[in-house]
Amino acid sequence: MSLERPVPRLAGAWGALGLSGLGLAGLSLLLARQEAPAQLGPAQPGLWLVGITALLLLGAVGIRQSAQGEGHPARTVPAAATLILLVLAAEAALRAYAVPTGLIPTPSKVLEALWAARTVLWRDALTTFVYEALLGFVIGTLLGLGLALLSVRLRFLERGLLPYAALLSSVPIVALAPVVIKAVGLGVASKTIIVAVTVLFPVLINAVRGLHSAQSMHLDLMHSYAASAAQTFRDVRWPSALPFVFTALRVAAPLSLINAIVAEFFGTEGRGLGFRIQIEVGKFGLDVVWAAIVVASVLGISFYLVISLIERRILPGRR
Amino acid sequence: MSEGGSGKWVVGSGNGQGRVQGMTTLPASTPRRVRRPSNLLPMLAVAVFAALIYWPVMLFANQGAAQKALDSGADLGCKTALACATQLRNPVIPAPGQFWVGMRSLSAQPFSATAAPYNALVTGGETLLGLGLAVVVGLALATLLVRSRSFERATLPWLVASQTVPVVALAPMLAVLLGQAGVQGFLPKALIAAYIAFFPVTIGMAQGLRSPDPLQRDLMQTYRASGPQTFLLLQLPASLPYLFTSLKVAATAALVGSIVAEISTISFSGLGKMLAENSRASDTVALWVIMVYGAALGIALVALIGLLERAVTRWRPVA
Amino acid sequence: MTHSLLPTSHSPPHSGPPIVSVRDLGMIFPVPGGQTVALQDANLEIMPGEFISLIGPSGCGKTTLLRLMADLISPTSGQLTVNGGTPRQAREARSYGYVFQAPALMEWRNVLGNVRLPLDVMNTPKDSRAARAREMLRLVGLEKFERSYPWQLSGGMQQRVSIARALAPGPALLFMDEPFGALDEITRENLNLELLRLWRETGKTVVFVTHSISEAVFLSSRVVVMTARPGKIEGIVNIDLPQPRGEESREDPRFFQYATEIRELLRRGHE
Repeated sequence: MSLERPVPRLAGAWGALGLSGLGLAGLSLLLARQEAPAQLGPAQPGLWLVGITALLLLGAVGIRQSAQGEGHPARTVPAAATLILLVLAAEAALRAYAVPTGLIPTPSKVLEALWAARTVLWRDALTTFVYEALLGFVIGTLLGLGLALLSVRLRFLERGLLPYAALLSSVPIVALAPVVIKAVGLGVASKTIIVAVTVLFPVLINAVRGLHSAQSMHLDLMHSYAASAAQTFRDVRWPSALPFVFTALRVAAPLSLINAIVAEFFGTEGRGLGFRIQIEVGKFGLDVVWAAIVVASVLGISFYLVISLIERRILPGRR
Repeated sequence: MSEGGSGKWVVGSGNGQGRVQGMTTLPASTPRRVRRPSNLLPMLAVAVFAALIYWPVMLFANQGAAQKALDSGADLGCKTALACATQLRNPVIPAPGQFWVGMRSLSAQPFSATAAPYNALVTGGETLLGLGLAVVVGLALATLLVRSRSFERATLPWLVASQTVPVVALAPMLAVLLGQAGVQGFLPKALIAAYIAFFPVTIGMAQGLRSPDPLQRDLMQTYRASGPQTFLLLQLPASLPYLFTSLKVAATAALVGSIVAEISTISFSGLGKMLAENSRASDTVALWVIMVYGAALGIALVALIGLLERAVTRWRPVA
Repeated sequence: MTHSLLPTSHSPPHSGPPIVSVRDLGMIFPVPGGQTVALQDANLEIMPGEFISLIGPSGCGKTTLLRLMADLISPTSGQLTVNGGTPRQAREARSYGYVFQAPALMEWRNVLGNVRLPLDVMNTPKDSRAARAREMLRLVGLEKFERSYPWQLSGGMQQRVSIARALAPGPALLFMDEPFGALDEITRENLNLELLRLWRETGKTVVFVTHSISEAVFLSSRVVVMTARPGKIEGIVNIDLPQPRGEESREDPRFFQYATEIRELLRRGHE
């Protein structure tokens, strides 16, 4: 194994990435200035394709080189560059072939829609994320934890309840949604309930598993101190359950948003990201659909990251 | 991100559990197993308890609607709102008798186009086909991921991020777009199921292909094993438990995807089509019946994957 | 290439070309913010039929030396020949068997399948593989367990399977990297006896890494004592206990003398 100097390779990577990025951006701009690029002549579309592909290949070479080594840039640049290049390439290709916005909107059109519909999307996001996903998540988590504590105290309840919980966690929420919406109404509450129910089961299952995960040596140690049940719980059972609970929360956080959106497909009072997506798909307003998806994605990732952050704060020494 | 996100998808895969400790002369196949008391009785008790709760909740929920119906002078064949609560033509929550009648009418001829069993089979078939596709594509991509570090660094962060993003929100749009492209019937639903299942399956497979411990890799190296030999004899079998764990996660999500796809396009069969029709017709009892079939379908899919897992990974101890 | 496994009486180390020759061997690993000298100026010749132990504290480079011989890593300086060629040639000729610290069995293969693995990889004639694997299992006394899966075996049994696996292709050289390190004392002593019997019956050359002084003395014809920071060979002790050895060898006064000698070498390197 020879130790090559990484500097010239990295410079080459930046060169290739920059060149292909600039090239793609240039192509998109050039195309943006023309009203109907498809009418440029029969030979042109093929030419565009060759150009975009060549620039993408160049970018791929750059990504390949930038991924060498173990430094921080080698870990982050490739992924970021891939996204940027693909978005630019999509922009250029969609423009070159004049694909109608009603079919596939260009990324810039999506950005425009994101801005133009910002008040509506803000309200939708508030409804879906805060009142439905977040509230449901909190309620479901608290219920799950409460039931878990109860189950661990009462073996009978655990043996009677947990098999159902395991079974119900493989039930698709779409089956649940119409019924709950029918019973509770089209408002926000029905979605909150659906989210809470779907969060409850993974939390319950993992919390029970976690509460049982205390090492017998630790329990024996507490026993040798003549510790009370409450002390044993506080110092051994609960700390050893926490990692399990957080695993469940990390899974449940994105799930709560996903389920809120899917539940909205079955009826709302005209608000929410799921409603927006459904209604705009019907109107072929796909730029707004994509904008709503972007908003939902950002919310989903942020929610997940916040939970991970809290986990890292509360569970020091764990990754 | 990749470390933080990947842990959650695989729960307890791989290595042998409960191995026999102690003397070498001990006979094999005597893993000590604690005999647990059956869960049947507690489960039955919980079911009875749920049924007992259901009755007053149902009466309470339907009372208002019954009062309204009586006030408007409808002839329900009963006098008080409480008595009418089980007789409503379109209840908020169906009475057990009503549910039973609905169940029978929707299941009487299981293979007619309007029967729930037939439509559940259609949806189940779409999802299974989608899962199959996801495995093929996921295996190919996971192989690439573990082969090329630059490819991994360019794509894995996005694959992991996709787990926190509501990919199902794309389903309605994809359904419409595929319809525009002339892909109709069974296929678009399977494609959407595949695309939802693909992300977890790819991540699970990549994890599994990487799971053999370094000593096992060294071992193959001392044999001068070729790349394909190491893949077939070591990596692929080692990845199977991971594949099935991720498939169980993916199955429910894929089922949601195919149902949403059925709702979002003109469909002639499937549970989604039944849901859409009965939502429009406000047939609560039918919605409940479909919910039960959907739940059963989800449980059956996961059970099917579990059976397949047992058959393929025979070497593992029975849990 | 396949050596006979017929029980032959073991001949003492003879003169002739060494089977492993280590000359001024050095290995430097880069670590964050510097480098570690894992092995420095090592010199050693191993004759065919010898049982050589490498002993020393962790970080002394004993595993590194073994991995260098097995071509699992490449040296940064010095010369190394195995079987008369480079380690790479030796590996590509599949001329050694390697037993790791852990059994590293494939949990999806039963015991017989695990022993058959090298034969599958090396594409030996298909119809003879199972018979050969069974023969090896008989050698380690596990013929009754061929259908068991790894999880059903104790740690000691698993390690015996991995020894049978290393023997299956019939290599003349056996590299063993602390194979009994994770086992309890009783199991370890039983396996030591078994290993000695195997060595006598098969006439193989064994290079054995350990951190147990008594294990090294009991098993070896020579013990290579290594010390850490930097990893180097501190001395080589000839063990002149009579063969065949058994439990009674542990009572031999010379056994304690050798152990003391090794302990002092180890201590010297520690200061």
